[in-house]
This record gives sequence, C-alpha cells and structure tokens, in this order.
Amino acid sequence: MMAVVFLAQVLSAAAPLVLASLGGVLSERSGVTMLALEAYLLLGAFAAVVAGLASGSIVVAVLAAALAGALAGALFALFAVWQRASSVVVGVALNLLAMAGTRAALKVLYGSSSNSPTLPTSEGMRGSALAWTALRDALSTPTVWIAPLLVALSALLLSRTVLGLRITACGEHPMAAKGQGVPVARVQTTALVLGGAIAALGGAQLGLHQHAFVASMSGGRGFLAVAAVILGRWRPVRAAVWAAAIGSLSALEATLASGGWVPTVVLQALPFALTLLAVAGRSGKARAPAALG
Amino acid sequence: MSRPRALVVVAAAAAVLTAMNLSVWLAGASPRRVLALMLAGTLGSSYGFAQSLAKATPLLWTGASVALALRARLFNVGAEGQCLAGVLASAVVGAALPASTPWALAIPLCLAAAAAGGAALGAVAGWLRGRFGTNEVLSTLMLNGLMAVVVTWLYGGALRDGAQVHTRDVVAGARLPMAGAALRAFRGSGLNASFALGLVALAALAWYLERTRGGLRIRALGSSSGTASALGIDPSRTTVRAMALSGALAGLAASHFVLGVKGYAEHGLGAGVGFTGIAVALLGGARPWGIALAALLFGVLAQGSLAVNAVVPSDALVVVQAATLVAVAVVGAGRAVTR
Repeated sequence: MMAVVFLAQVLSAAAPLVLASLGGVLSERSGVTMLALEAYLLLGAFAAVVAGLASGSIVVAVLAAALAGALAGALFALFAVWQRASSVVVGVALNLLAMAGTRAALKVLYGSSSNSPTLPTSEGMRGSALAWTALRDALSTPTVWIAPLLVALSALLLSRTVLGLRITACGEHPMAAKGQGVPVARVQTTALVLGGAIAALGGAQLGLHQHAFVASMSGGRGFLAVAAVILGRWRPVRAAVWAAAIGSLSALEATLASGGWVPTVVLQALPFALTLLAVAGRSGKARAPAALG
Repeated sequence: MSRPRALVVVAAAAAVLTAMNLSVWLAGASPRRVLALMLAGTLGSSYGFAQSLAKATPLLWTGASVALALRARLFNVGAEGQCLAGVLASAVVGAALPASTPWALAIPLCLAAAAAGGAALGAVAGWLRGRFGTNEVLSTLMLNGLMAVVVTWLYGGALRDGAQVHTRDVVAGARLPMAGAALRAFRGSGLNASFALGLVALAALAWYLERTRGGLRIRALGSSSGTASALGIDPSRTTVRAMALSGALAGLAASHFVLGVKGYAEHGLGAGVGFTGIAVALLGGARPWGIALAALLFGVLAQGSLAVNAVVPSDALVVVQAATLVAVAVVGAGRAVTR
C-alpha cells in the first residue's frame, strides 16, 4: 500500500517539473535563455484554479492554464525577441511579475492574498482503500498523463518536423538560419509560446492537485526545472527524466515526512542540494545551444 | 551603455508610470487618488520620507552586490539567499555576545558575521563557476532555495526564542542607532545607521573598482577574456573573489534588518530584497550613484505601496518593479552589463 501511495505521489510531484522542463527545453533550443519557468508554473496554477472555480470543468481549467502560459510566452517573446532585451533580465522580471501579480489578483478576486477558495473535489474520495484512492486521484488529474504524452510529442517535434529543425537552427546558428530563409524571430516566438503553454500545464497540475491556488505555490520548482533542462542537455526526454527524478525527491519528502523518520528540512533541502551537485558535476559535459543568449 | 543614459531614465519612468496606473486601474481604484495617497504617505511627511529611506536601505546593499558581480560579467541572482545568510549569521553572533559587549566591538563583529555569511554563499557559486564552469545564475538560484529552507527550519526550531516566533534578541551594543532617536521628526520610522553605511559602501565600491588592483582584476574579468589573460589574471580566483565580495555586500543588508529595525531574525526577514536588488543594479547602470538613486526610487515605491494598501493590494505595485526591469533591459542598459 505504501508503494501505491508513493507511486501516486511521484506521479503528482513529477508532472509539474516534467512539464516545466519541457517548456524550458523548447524555449532554449530556439536560442532564448529561459529562467521564467517559475512564472509559468504560477500563472498556470492560477489560471487553472480561477477557470476551474468559475466553470467547474477540469478541461476548461487545463485549457486556461495553457492559454495563460502561451500569453506569457508571447509577452516574453515581445521583449526578449522583438525588443532584443536580455532574456535573463526578462526572465527575472516575469518571475517577479507572476509572484506579485497572482497574489494581488488573488486579493482582488477572492479577498485573500494567501490562497483561493478550494476547488470541488471529485466524488467518491472517501473510499475504504485509501491508497488506491490516492492513485486514482493522482491519475484523475489530466496533466499527470498529459506530461508523458507531451514529452514524446516534443521529442518528435524537435527531431522530426520542419518547425523543430528550424527551432534548433535558430538556437545553433541564427545567422545561417536567416540565410536559409528561416524567419528567426517568428520561429523563436513560436517556440516561446509553445514552451510557455506546456510549462504552464505543469502549473495546472500544481493547482489541481492541491485543489486551490496558494501564493508562491511553485516553491522554486521552476528553478529546479531550469536545472533539469541543463542536466538533460536540452533534450526533451533526458530533461524529463531528470525532472522526474527531482520530482520523486519531493514525493519522497511527502512520504517520509508523514513517517517522521527523517527531519523535514533535510528532505526539503535535498532537491536543491542534489540538483546543485548534479549540475556542478555535469556542467563540463553540457553543450548548450550555441547561440543561447 | 549602448544608448544614452537619459533615454534609459525616461523610458523607465514612462514604463513605471504606465505600469503603476494600469495595475491600480486593474485593481479597481482611481489612479489619481492612489497617486495622491502615495505621495502623502512617502514624500509628504517626515515620517513617510524616513520610511522611504528605510525601505531603500537594504536595496543599497543588494543593488551594490548585484552591480559588483555585473562588473565582472557575473549575474548574481543569489543576493536573495546571501541576504538570508547574512541575517542568520548576524542574528546568531549578535545574540551569542555577552550582554555587556561595548558597541565598538559588537557592531563590527555583527557586520563581519553578516558579510561572512553572504560571502560564503557567494564564494560557493564562484568556486563552482571557476572549478566546473557551472553557470552562476543556476547555482545561485539553487542556493537561494536551499537557504530559504534552512532558515525557515532554524527560526521555527533550534533558534526559536521560547514562545516567540523569532530568534533571541541581539545584545544592546550590537544595535545600530535609529534615526528617530536623534531626530524627533523621524521617530517611529525604521530608518537607521545602515542607510549611511550603505552609502559609504557604495562610495567604497566605486573606489575599489576604479582605483585598486583587485577592482581592476574584477573589471578585466568583465571586459573580455583577452584582457584578463593579457593582465595575467587567474579567472577562477577572480571569479571566486568577485562572487564572495558580491555575497558579502548582499549579506550586509542584514545590518538594516537585524542590527537596525528588528534586533532579531525571523521567518521572511530579508526576503525579496535580493531580487529587487537586480532591478536596482540594472536601473542604476551598475554605477554607485545610479544605484543610490534607483534604491531611493524603489524605496519610495515600496513605502508608497504600503500607504495605499487599503485601496490597492501592495503587491500590485511590484508590477512596477518588473516593468522597470523590462524597460531598462529593452533600452539596452541590461544587455551592456549582462551576457
């Protein structure tokens, strides 16, 4: 039973990181440094919960998250691609904006700057077999199974489609791509919009899993996802595997903390510490898209 | 600086005003009324003025921190965690001193602790960069996450002062003088000597960067690898030094929080000033006077957003900070100093 609960927690905890890192891979492969994954997660979670509360439909909630992410990606592109601002600075700014903006909007919409009202949970939650309910609950959140699907699709997109090859070309050698008639700015915008939408789905998972929006609920996962992008050497499947591994650490935290065997602080610090070590250990071998900037 | 400074300032001001009005309007309030309230709550009274300077104080430190790293072409996104480390270190040292410690000993010791705490965290990022080529943006982000977890745990447990939700008070000698004690008009505000120290630190930073060998090395690292190797500079060591110094400045923001306003450390104390420091450094063009002015601007905004909190959520005005960052980056100042 423990194993089933753990599996359910791994699935729920890994999905946001996997989706955010996928969004990061798509954006960075086009040659744009993407530090705004934290913002995408927050905006996605917020949009999903607001739409979910308003419509009562989980599908609408997920779509709203994707739309919010796409818009944020477009905003990122407007400044970083079309206005040629430093993408690092735009990323930091977008993170600030999302953190404070969602809190302010929470206050305006629901009268509290810390959390939203809770989403109605699916019926039949109080079954006898709690462990299996946990798993079913995890699987009933669509973003959990959307994540692996999108990993496969992104890998195919980047390696097998014209758009994917163009994205990579823009990231490796934008001048040459331009010479071949690739509209670099438009391709990068497409990559950023797609990346934003996918990363924000990770946010939807956060919000739907907790059945509410809590201020700053992304809790640094966006930054861990940035690390997963680098650890996965800008490849969708590898980045997703790293993201899932980091996500499992958080699941471990939830499981072990309830047992009280290991101090919570160690478990909370673990993802950051191990990711730091992993990045340090592998950064010599990493090869970023040549024109990343 | 690829484009004229005046343009940066004008564009930033325009963006700030637009973002402010827009966010106020979105929050359902009248921009004119909010602006009047903001002015009255900041520059309109001696208390509001002193509070604005108090809000600017930690930003002097973190702005200087980010700027120093930028001059070495390092992007220190970790002033956030380094400030938390400084808060932790100075609170622990300040509370551990004997109660009778004279200020001439207690204050330097606590300042050294704050600087050392921040420097240690910065040095780790610098070492990882020099030794393994680890991107400092990434490592400092991870260290931010790590520090936040650690201090939350310490303040809630091991360092908790009995029933209080904060650490033990630092000794009386370690407290920096409050402006309100000297000037009746500033009474009740958080303005303290850390503001003056911050200005001195900015002047010292300018002197260090322009007039000393260590500063030359840091600037050479930032100009191009060719310059650095022509001068016989060890890039790894200079990177560690630059990040440690940058971290020390961010850690010293603790002097405002722990030695000035509060006298102890608690959960959330010092959070947010690191990220705002990035905006301050970029808006200030990574130059001391620019940083001082940018810190004052953000100080007024921070105090102003509190003054209007009843009408507009104060968070809505963080939008203004983000807009400033983007405006500066678009105009080009950001690109000149980051990669």
